[in-house]
Amino acid sequence: MDPSSQEVRWSGMIDKPNLEVEVAGIKLKNPVMTASGTFGYGEEFSPFIDLDKLGAMVLKGITLKPKMGNPPPRVIETPSGMLNSIGLQNVGVEMLIKEKLPYLQKFNTPVIINISGDTIEEYIELARRLGEVSKEMGVAGLEINISCPNVKKGGMVWGTDAKATYKIINSIRKTTPLPLIAKLTPNVTDIKTIAQAAEEAGADALSLINTLVGMAIDIDSRRPKLANISGGLSGPAVKPVALWLVWQVFQTVNIPVIGIGGIIKVEDALEFIIAGARVIEIGTANFVNPHVTIDIIEGIEKYLTENNIKDVNELVGSMKI
Amino acid sequence: MNFIYNIKVKILSKEEVAPNIFLIKLLAPPIAQEALAGQFIHIKCSKDNYPLLRRPLSIHRIDKEKGEIFILFQAVGEGTKLLAGRSIEDDLDIMGPIGNGFNIYPESKKMVIIGGGIGVAPLLALGEESIRQGKEVQVLIGALKKELVIGEESFKILGAKVDVATDDGSYQYKGLVTDLLERIIKEGWLADQIFACGPKPMLKKISEIALQANIHYQVSMEERMACGIGACLGCVCKIKTKDKREYKVKYEYKRVCVDGPVFTGSEVVWND
Repeated sequence: MDPSSQEVRWSGMIDKPNLEVEVAGIKLKNPVMTASGTFGYGEEFSPFIDLDKLGAMVLKGITLKPKMGNPPPRVIETPSGMLNSIGLQNVGVEMLIKEKLPYLQKFNTPVIINISGDTIEEYIELARRLGEVSKEMGVAGLEINISCPNVKKGGMVWGTDAKATYKIINSIRKTTPLPLIAKLTPNVTDIKTIAQAAEEAGADALSLINTLVGMAIDIDSRRPKLANISGGLSGPAVKPVALWLVWQVFQTVNIPVIGIGGIIKVEDALEFIIAGARVIEIGTANFVNPHVTIDIIEGIEKYLTENNIKDVNELVGSMKI
Repeated sequence: MNFIYNIKVKILSKEEVAPNIFLIKLLAPPIAQEALAGQFIHIKCSKDNYPLLRRPLSIHRIDKEKGEIFILFQAVGEGTKLLAGRSIEDDLDIMGPIGNGFNIYPESKKMVIIGGGIGVAPLLALGEESIRQGKEVQVLIGALKKELVIGEESFKILGAKVDVATDDGSYQYKGLVTDLLERIIKEGWLADQIFACGPKPMLKKISEIALQANIHYQVSMEERMACGIGACLGCVCKIKTKDKREYKVKYEYKRVCVDGPVFTGSEVVWND
């Protein structure tokens, strides 16, 4: 190799802080992922950002069979946030494999599939099927949705009970060697016991939080603003809650924590990392600013440079008390 | 799907054309170039993050030569009130053009365009395009009262025939705009296509009339929206389709933002 080019590379490495992180055995270019349900199947955002720049993409939650979802209205804005009751509308796993994943092959960004089911068998079958095509279709890992508040069966039913959490994560663990991320709900009495159960069951990482259950009423008609009555609250309004739960879970488990909840600017992302998140997911903010993920990646790099921190990993869980 | 821009554009002018109804002109050359009648832009009304979500507003007029687009809206909620308060020369963060737009059939000769209240917003660009293509255009406008009749002059300038119905009878026909549609059909003026935008009961009634008269009907739908680019599946409406072999009817929730906002009237499930 030409020694001068090596020199150039070295000087580049000294100036630029390291943003690479590893979570659940998946190597990421930077600690910024997209939150399931807010990023479609990736392609929807390609007019606005270079998908290659993302740490990872978590796609819209998938079920074994296509799902119709809940009747509208499904979204409503609330102070500094929004309620949604989409009800996991999705194309089903076979269509995902056939029509959605091929587009993502040209990108060098890990794709994580968020999976949901009504029964334990459905989760197992999804994990098996996605494991089967993982090499060919570039499935880097699975995020297990045990926290959706908008479906009657499955979803949050699993994530609000430590035993059920253990059972479902462990069943999937026995099915596939794929990296497993358990996505936790904040709608519990003690998230630490759920986090521990998921860790003991073999989860490689935990992501939190999913949305908080809430509702809104139209005072003129006295009807709920969402057809489903309740929905999941997301956006800046939930950030302090999410941050507190991430901090608690970080202190409880030995596996990496992925922080989610109301991140809309770089300062929010940094708060989560300092609280213990190895990686963060950006959700609702994608609806407001389709470029937000890239803005935050650049912002993290700038912060590290300005504060003379060489590696983003040094920042993880560095809160001083 | 067409390319969606996310750009900052300048507010060139702002006018309150009727009580609480605003017309804003934006300098947005790339969007104006590609915009079709019936598409919309997704607007960040605030300068900070409150209110959080963007607001989808129909493109009212497209001036491709000057690179300008117009939006016409009623200041009703937090977002639209903020938008109405923005100043000329302000930068506005918008995404667009979004959606499928109206489909004008080349073989159509006569069209009826029906707007209820602020529902006229996406219809002026449609009227302009229809007349440019040499169609005969009959516009029907419905409003609560005289002051709230919008677009009448603009359509007339284009060369369309315009009739108005007001709920209180303060201007022209007293009653529903759908009565006017029934009347012209009864008189034998049969359109090849009907286009409408407005309150749901009006759209539903037109669907019934169009079905009976066997006139193809396109409707611009509205729903609470978050992302505006087809990712969140928030803004859906229930659509009746057939399976691949056309054996049986099936229902699905389609996205108003990118599958619509224009749907075929007979496909929309009105009683849901």
